[in-house]
Amino acid sequence: MDFIICTGGGGVSDIFAFNGAATSGYAQPAPLLEDGEASAGIPESMRRATLPRWPRASEPELVRHFTWLSQRNFGIDSGFYPLGSCTMKHNPRVNEKIVQLAGINDLHPLAPESHLQGLMSIFYEMQEMLAHCAGMDEVTLQPVAGAQGEFAAIRCIQEYHRSIGEESRDKVIVPDSAHGTNPASAAMCGYDIIEIPSGEDGRLDIDAIRAVVGEDTAAMMVTNPSTLGVFEPDIAEAADIVHAAGGQMYYDGANFNAILGKTSPGLMGFDAVHYNLHKTFSQPHGGGGPGSGPIGVKSHLAQFLPKPLVDRTEDDGGLDGWTYFWVDPENSIGKVQQWHGNAGAVVRSWAFYRRYGRELEKMSEHAVLNANYLRHRILNPDAEVVANIPAMPVDGAPAEVVKHEFTLSMSPIKDETGVTGKDVAKRLLDYGYMAPTLYFPMIVPECLMIEPTETESKEVLDKFAEDFLAILAEDPELVTTAPHSTDVGRVDEVWAARNLVLRHPLDD
Amino acid sequence: MVDHLPNLGREAEMLQALGLSSMDDLFSDIPESIKRVGPLDLPPPQTEEEIWTEAQRLLSANVPINSRPNFLGAGLYENFVPSMVAAMATRGEFLTAYTPYQPEVSQGMLQALWEFQTMISELVALPVSNVSVYDASTAAAEALTCATRVNNRKAEQKNVVYVTKWLPEHRLSVIENYTAGGSIEIRTLDWNNEGMIDLVAAESAVGSCAVYVEQPNPFGIIDENLPKLKQIIGENCALIVGVNATSLGLLEAPGNWGADIVVGEGQPFGIGATAGGPIYGLFACTDKYLRQMPGRIVGQTIDDRGNDAFTLTLSTREQHIRRHKATSNICSNETLIALMGSMHMALLGPIGLERLALRNAASCQVARNGVLSIKGVELLYPNSSSYNEFTVVLPGSAKSALSHLDSLGVTGGLALEDTTLQASEKWLHITATDQTTEDDVVALVEGLKSWISSFAQEVEA
Repeated sequence: MDFIICTGGGGVSDIFAFNGAATSGYAQPAPLLEDGEASAGIPESMRRATLPRWPRASEPELVRHFTWLSQRNFGIDSGFYPLGSCTMKHNPRVNEKIVQLAGINDLHPLAPESHLQGLMSIFYEMQEMLAHCAGMDEVTLQPVAGAQGEFAAIRCIQEYHRSIGEESRDKVIVPDSAHGTNPASAAMCGYDIIEIPSGEDGRLDIDAIRAVVGEDTAAMMVTNPSTLGVFEPDIAEAADIVHAAGGQMYYDGANFNAILGKTSPGLMGFDAVHYNLHKTFSQPHGGGGPGSGPIGVKSHLAQFLPKPLVDRTEDDGGLDGWTYFWVDPENSIGKVQQWHGNAGAVVRSWAFYRRYGRELEKMSEHAVLNANYLRHRILNPDAEVVANIPAMPVDGAPAEVVKHEFTLSMSPIKDETGVTGKDVAKRLLDYGYMAPTLYFPMIVPECLMIEPTETESKEVLDKFAEDFLAILAEDPELVTTAPHSTDVGRVDEVWAARNLVLRHPLDD
Repeated sequence: MVDHLPNLGREAEMLQALGLSSMDDLFSDIPESIKRVGPLDLPPPQTEEEIWTEAQRLLSANVPINSRPNFLGAGLYENFVPSMVAAMATRGEFLTAYTPYQPEVSQGMLQALWEFQTMISELVALPVSNVSVYDASTAAAEALTCATRVNNRKAEQKNVVYVTKWLPEHRLSVIENYTAGGSIEIRTLDWNNEGMIDLVAAESAVGSCAVYVEQPNPFGIIDENLPKLKQIIGENCALIVGVNATSLGLLEAPGNWGADIVVGEGQPFGIGATAGGPIYGLFACTDKYLRQMPGRIVGQTIDDRGNDAFTLTLSTREQHIRRHKATSNICSNETLIALMGSMHMALLGPIGLERLALRNAASCQVARNGVLSIKGVELLYPNSSSYNEFTVVLPGSAKSALSHLDSLGVTGGLALEDTTLQASEKWLHITATDQTTEDDVVALVEGLKSWISSFAQEVEA
């Protein structure tokens, strides 16, 4: 790769080409001992011979480099981010200010409880709030991502079945529309996966569930609203069927943003749930993480939760009249993360929830309003707009109303002009939008999955719909070769996998 | 009144476009029998100003480790992160982006992560690094399952791995949970009387899938036997080394002495201890383990005009493609924290890294010399060398010493009986980092002395 050093002009900034700093770009206080004495305790046989070839750059150079990189990256702050299933809502800035306080940034998880009372009070409040919103009895905040929450909860279910002598249950049922993490997490616990087909309308097929449940059923994992963005009306019946067979019901909380305050996994009949604090509760996605994936369970599973949880006792001398302490569930599965989870994400989510409080329901209402409005605007344009479009997309699943997201099949236009869902997604980048989720769920051909979230205005939704429809009317050649105005053109993923250049060569 | 909903007050107009008359109509698809009745039992909404005030009030009830002499570490370390890091990492283009699945508008994050991979690869001397996993413990656990997938076919001890003795329970527990589903049996690798891996006992690991050791080890000891391990266990048993990341400014990179996979905690680079998260786990390996490694990885590529570009690659290992056959269930990881680490590492450069390691080594020596000057306090393994931390045997209960020190405003370390099976109640684990001062050490030493004298008086009485 031909790199040139960033000058603020064109070209590519190469961090490894910086070579101005004779020593280090960051001056440090002197060690408590002279160098020779400081290293005297290190056995000669273990001394490092050659230092890593890290950049030799100073702060002014690096600030420019990372600013340059940031300008080649698209976040929610850059523009509309309708990435289905990911709930890309606005991230309030005060939350970032809060987590930079020493009272969270510089805490040690193994410090005495008396050093962590403020944090533990926030943990306690979050445990209670999350349990209440989902209709669960106990919550742990330890899992650090949705997938880890799934894993932890399925492990709890596994131990529950062992505790009642039903360890022979070795199958987990997963609909074909499920997130990939569901089968992956259950498989990591050692379960065989039974994938059941969705019904013709894209919804849970009750007969398909009946056909596979039995003495070997450990659990069924369901997302509701489903990944198609539609509510599963038969969910209570599905839960009854699984429970009657002795299985447990697991709720994937990826789409919790759609129903908060309107119904709950508990009301639907679920036994365990994970929350994605990085979706519903606005922990920033950060380019892929950190997340946070607390789990909630009904009381019969509570004794197996990862340890420890926070509890409290009345104490006049305590914080607001309480002293907080760690408590280990009686038959805990132990740890899934070494410490207490992503505490920083929990604190951000606490600050987010406090902004809504008992009106969290409004958040879901507006998420659903925006999704239905955008779906309507895309699927029901004026006649003169339709006249210019070779073939309109169709709903991924028939529904009077959708929840927080919807799916479109781009098959009609592909059949008509060769323009694929991927082409439309890439063309949207030219218009200054992030692309919708592409080709998921797999049961919808040429799928685009669109989730606007509650923090987008009507004007943005109107403009997006207009631009989306304009793309469908464009010269197919223009769309199939998109994007045209991004930092790089359409990227060759096959080349990357064939050549595997996974680090800088650092050729001198 | 909530304030982040741009369409608040415009519901009627939007509903009308949909042919609906109320917000309730949007939820008509939820059967009545499972609808929530009544409002959420939560406090009223708060403004930003109220939340900020409340957050400061509650978080100031905590005792940050940098607010007093602190000797607690054991995997997470008191540090100082240069101001540039938060300023750059909280730029909205980084902070509020999702996983770079659309490379055409994500070149900045992709290049930054490729730089991170390069810096970690250089740090540990292995060819490949991913973009991070959750933490050091899940990294160790995923390394063991990864190695088992690669080596089990040829292994004589099928589904068996060995881990170093004296691992803290909370790390071992993560490993046990992650390996339970694969029916992987975990056996223990014993130490000799110098506090290092017993090389004779290590021969029992021959024919197994993997060996997991740490450098420095869980008691802070620099283990000079580790470079001899690879030759003993052979090509078809993975040598997995958990590292203290800053130590690699002074200690030889494990990739240069036989490690197949290196894991560890990245936290000292980029972020404070943050009560245990978000932090980030390092995962680097040889080419042999690449296709079974967990997590995301960035590769260089070209675009349709022949320009250089970056993209996520080898996705066919991952859950969104492979589902139940994926190498791991990991999806969300710790990208932003890894990026922060990368910024910190770049600012240090090689010489800054060595300086940082020297500061840690010097603080450790000063603390160790100070504590060992106290009559009645001995190093658990008398002739061992230490980096960052060391373990001593006290004349009484470590918990009692810690509580005495706490009352003097000193966080004295970790009572190992709380975290380590079979540890004596007298074992105290002490960490000193680049942030430790001479005064901190004096406070620790004087505090321990006054505890011992009160303790001696009690014994006499």
